[in-house]
Amino acid sequence: MPKPVHLAIALFAAAVLACGGSALGQSDPSAEVGEAAGEFEFVRLAYSGNRYAQSARGQAWRTDWPDAEHHFLRGVNRLTSVDAADEGRIMIPLDGDIFDYPWLYAVEVGYWHLNDQEAAHLREYLLRGGFLMVDDFHGSFEWAMFKASMDRVFPDRPIVDIAEGDEAFHVLYDLDHRIQIPSRMFIYSGQTWERDGVTPHWRGIYDDHGRLMVAINHNMDIGDAWEHADWPDYPENMTALAYRFGINYLIYAMTH
Amino acid sequence: MFEFLFKYPRQDYARSELVFTADWPAWLPWSLLALAVAAIAWMLLRRRQHANAAQLVTVGMLQLAMIALVLVVMLQPALRTEQLKPGENVVALVADTSASMAYGPGPTRLDVARNNLLAAVAGSDVTPLYFSLAAGADAAADLATLQPVGEATAIGNALVDIIGGARSQSLAAVILASDGVDTTGGVSADQLAEIAAFGIPVHTIGVGRERIPEDIELVQVVAPDKALPNSTVTARLAIRHDSAGEARVRVYDGDELLATELVRLPENVSMTTAPISMNLRDPGYHRLQFSIEGPGEEPELRNNEHSALVKVEEQQFRILYFEGEPRWEYKFLRRALDPEGDIRLATLLRVSPNKFYRQGLDSAEQLESGFPSTRDELFAYDALIIGSVEAASLSAAQQQLIADFVSERGGSLLMLAGPSGLGNGGWGQSGISDLLPTRLPPSTVDSFERIKAPVALTPQGADAAMLRLAGGEENSDAWARLPEVANYQATGNLKPAAMSLLSVKTGTGSQPLLVTQPYGRGHVYVLATGGTWRWQMSMPVEDLSHETFWRQLLRALVGTAPRGISLSVDADHGDAAVRLRAEFRNEAFLPLDNIGVSAVVSHEDGSAYTVDMLPDPADAGVFTADAALDKSGSWYFEAIAERDGEAVHVARASVYSESEQAEHFNLRRNSALLQRIAAATGGSYFEAGDLGNIADLLRYSSAGITEQILRPVWNAPAIFLLLLLMKLAEWLLRRRWRTI
Repeated sequence: MPKPVHLAIALFAAAVLACGGSALGQSDPSAEVGEAAGEFEFVRLAYSGNRYAQSARGQAWRTDWPDAEHHFLRGVNRLTSVDAADEGRIMIPLDGDIFDYPWLYAVEVGYWHLNDQEAAHLREYLLRGGFLMVDDFHGSFEWAMFKASMDRVFPDRPIVDIAEGDEAFHVLYDLDHRIQIPSRMFIYSGQTWERDGVTPHWRGIYDDHGRLMVAINHNMDIGDAWEHADWPDYPENMTALAYRFGINYLIYAMTH
Repeated sequence: MFEFLFKYPRQDYARSELVFTADWPAWLPWSLLALAVAAIAWMLLRRRQHANAAQLVTVGMLQLAMIALVLVVMLQPALRTEQLKPGENVVALVADTSASMAYGPGPTRLDVARNNLLAAVAGSDVTPLYFSLAAGADAAADLATLQPVGEATAIGNALVDIIGGARSQSLAAVILASDGVDTTGGVSADQLAEIAAFGIPVHTIGVGRERIPEDIELVQVVAPDKALPNSTVTARLAIRHDSAGEARVRVYDGDELLATELVRLPENVSMTTAPISMNLRDPGYHRLQFSIEGPGEEPELRNNEHSALVKVEEQQFRILYFEGEPRWEYKFLRRALDPEGDIRLATLLRVSPNKFYRQGLDSAEQLESGFPSTRDELFAYDALIIGSVEAASLSAAQQQLIADFVSERGGSLLMLAGPSGLGNGGWGQSGISDLLPTRLPPSTVDSFERIKAPVALTPQGADAAMLRLAGGEENSDAWARLPEVANYQATGNLKPAAMSLLSVKTGTGSQPLLVTQPYGRGHVYVLATGGTWRWQMSMPVEDLSHETFWRQLLRALVGTAPRGISLSVDADHGDAAVRLRAEFRNEAFLPLDNIGVSAVVSHEDGSAYTVDMLPDPADAGVFTADAALDKSGSWYFEAIAERDGEAVHVARASVYSESEQAEHFNLRRNSALLQRIAAATGGSYFEAGDLGNIADLLRYSSAGITEQILRPVWNAPAIFLLLLLMKLAEWLLRRRWRTI
C-alpha cells in the first residue's frame, strides 16, 4: 500500500497536471469538432461514471489527460509513418461525430457506465469498423464494473485473451514478452499491481471476421506510462513498452 | 435557262468534252486574231485626237472580243459525248430478297424494289439481267418470281459475285434495290475497294423506311461471357426507337426472372443504351434471355429479344496495393473486399520508416523484398493500387516496370490521393506521369485537403456500371445519400482521352474525383480522395454502399486486364461469323515460343469443326481465326496451343448466336451503306419512287460498249446574245464619249 503522504503528493500532482494540461488540448467533450488535423486523431471517450465513480473517482475518464495523449501522439509521429494530429479530442459516447474518428481510448473503465443508448451507439461504432482501447483498470471489482457495461455493448460476444500470435502484438513491434506496465504509484510503493489485479491481462472482443474491435488492457496502466514519459522517476523501459503497445493497437486498428 | 442559252443541260456539259469541228489548221485562227489586233490598233490610232487613251483601249478591247467570238463560231465548237451503244449492253438489276424485304407496310419492300428496278430501265436500250441478293447472289429469269426468304444479307460478297460473273457480257451498270440491311456487319472497306475496282457503276435504290416509330428493337446485348458464382453481372442493352416512351426490360434464365427494369426512351434520340444487372448464382453455362416490351403494338416482335451465353465459373484475380502510411482508407478498402471473394488483395504498407507490413499474402516470400522489381513478379497481378507514397520511394526501373505493366501487360493502375499521393508525391514528374489521366500539380504545391466534401456522379459516371450502387433511377439517389468523403486532392487538368466519372464539390467549385483513361493495353484511374472510408463509418452497418463501390471498382480494374492465356470472340462483323482471338503468354506476359494453335468450334447440338488459328503478325502471342456460325444456338470454342504435338494450353470461350434471326434486326433502311456503295463505284443513290435522271446515267455510263456523238454548240443563243451585248456596249460608250 502507498504511504499516505506519497499518495497525497501524487493526487496533488495529478490535479495540477490536469488543470495545467487544459492548454494542451480540447477539455470540453461537447465542444464543436473542427476539420481533421491529421489522419489519426486520438479520441478520449468521456463516458458517464458509475455510482462508484461519483464518490471515489469523479470524472474518471479524464485520468492522465492531457499528457498521456500529448506524449503518445508525439511518439506516434516520431516512430511510425502515421500522420497523427498533435493533440487529442474528447467525445461523449453519443456524439454523432464519433464516427469520423475510428479509434477511441477509454481509461479507468472500472468506473464507466454506458446506458442502453450509449451501448448501442458504441456497438454500431465498433461494428462499422471503429476500434476501442481500454486501459487502467485493476482487480476483480473494476473488471466486473467494466464488463457490466461492455456486456450491454456486446451481449453475445465473448471477451477472450488475445493470443500470442495475434497481429495486434506483431503489426509493428513483436511484443512476445508482455510485462505488466504499472501506474506511477509503483515508484512509491514498489508494487506493479493495484488492488487484487496482480496478473496483467491482454484481452479483446473480436468481430465475425476475427478482427479485434476492443483491446482490453486489464491490470495495467499504459496511460500512466505515456503520461509520465517525461518524468525522470518513471521507468523509461515501461514508457517505451507502453508506446509500443499503443502503437501496435493503433496500427492494427488502421490495417484490420 | 441554262439549257435555253447553251442548247443542252448542264449535266451534258459535265459528262462531255468541248471540241472544235472546223477543219482549220491550228495557225489560221491565231493569225486571223493577230491581223484583227493590228487592224483595230491602226484604226484607233488614227482617231486618237477624238478620244483619250483609256477610251481608245476600252473600245479596242470590245472590238477584239467580238472578233474573237466570231472566230470561235467559225471554228464550229461541239460537245463530244460517249454513250452506250444501243442494244449492245446489259444492266444487272439486283433485288434484295432477304427476309427483311418482306416488311411493309402496304406493298412489301421487295414489291417496291421490283417496281423501281423495272422503272429504271424502262424505255432504255439496254438488256436487263436479273439477280436476287441475300447471303449470296443468284441469277433469275425475271423479278416477278422472287420471294423474300433469304436468312442473311451479304451485300458486299453478292455484288462481287454479280459483277465478276456478268462483266464479260458488256455490263454497263448495276442497279441494286435494297433496304441496306446487311447481316454480315456491313460492307468492309476492302470489299468496297474490290467492287469499285471492276469499274462498273453501281446505282442503288433505297427501299423501306429510315424511321419506324411503331417499332422498338433490342439491337444489341453486351454481356460478359464469364462471371463468378453469386456475382452481379451487368449487361448493356442498345435499344433502337424512333419515338419517345418507356420500355420494360426483362432478363430470364430459363423460366426464372432474374431482373426487370423500366428504361426511358428519350425524344429525338434513335438509340438508347441501358445497363441492367442481375445475380448469377450457380456455376455452369447460363443462357440469359433479354426482352423488351414497348408501349404499343409493334409490327415485329422477333427483334425485341436477344440472348447471351454466360459461363459462371470460379476465377481469381490479384491486386497489389502499395501504401506509404497507415490510414483509414487502407483499412476500410481491405475490409470492403469479401475475404472469400474472387479478388485477392496483397498489400505492402510502410508502417514505419524501417518496416513494411504485408497482408493478403499467398506465401511468406511474397513481397518480401518490397515492391516488385521484375516483370514476373509484378505482372502476376491484374491491377496495382498506389496510395499515399512518394514516387521517389520507387526506383526509375520500378517506375518503368509500372508503365510496362499497364501498357504491355494490360494491367490497371489506380492512384489514390493522400498527403504523399498524386501531386504531393511527385508522381506528376515521375516515370509514370505519361500514363496518368490528369496533369498532376507539382509536388511543391500541397494539393491535399483534409476537408469533407460531397461527391456526385458525372454524366459519364451515371452511365458506368462500376458506379451502380442501386438499380435504375435509384442509383442517383443512392449517390446523393452518401456522406461526404473525408478529404480530397487537386487532380490538375484532364488529358484529352481522360473521362471524369465522379466529381467532388469543393469550397471553390467542383473538381474531378474519379478519372480514368486507357493507356496502351491497360487502364489508369485516379481517385482523388483517401476518404471514402466515411461511407462506411458514417452509414449504418447494414448499408453496403462502401463495400459495393470498392468491390465494383476493383472488379472493373481487374476485369479489363487480360489473362496470359485467353480466348475472345468478336461478333461485331455479324452473327453468322465471328473472329476468334487467342492469346498465349507466359508469366512475364511474353509470347509463348514454338506453339501452333487450332480452335475447335462446337455447336450445342454436338456438331463441331476445327479451324487453324494464324499468328497475328502485328501482335506476337496472338492467334486469330474466323469461324462461321451457320445456325442459332450456343457455340463453344476451345483454342488449343500445341508444342511438339502435345497440347500445352487451352483457352475457352462461348457465345450465343442468333444468326437465323438476324434478318429481323436492324429493320430500318440503311441509306448510308447504299450511298457509300454508289459513291465508291461512281454510281448514284436514289430513293424508291424518285429515280430522277437514272435513265440518263444509264445512257452515258462509262462502262459497257459505248459510241461517240458530236453535238454542235456554235449556234447556242448565248453566243449571239453575247455578240449583241458587246456591240451595244461599244455603241453606248461611244455615244457617251461623243466620239461617234
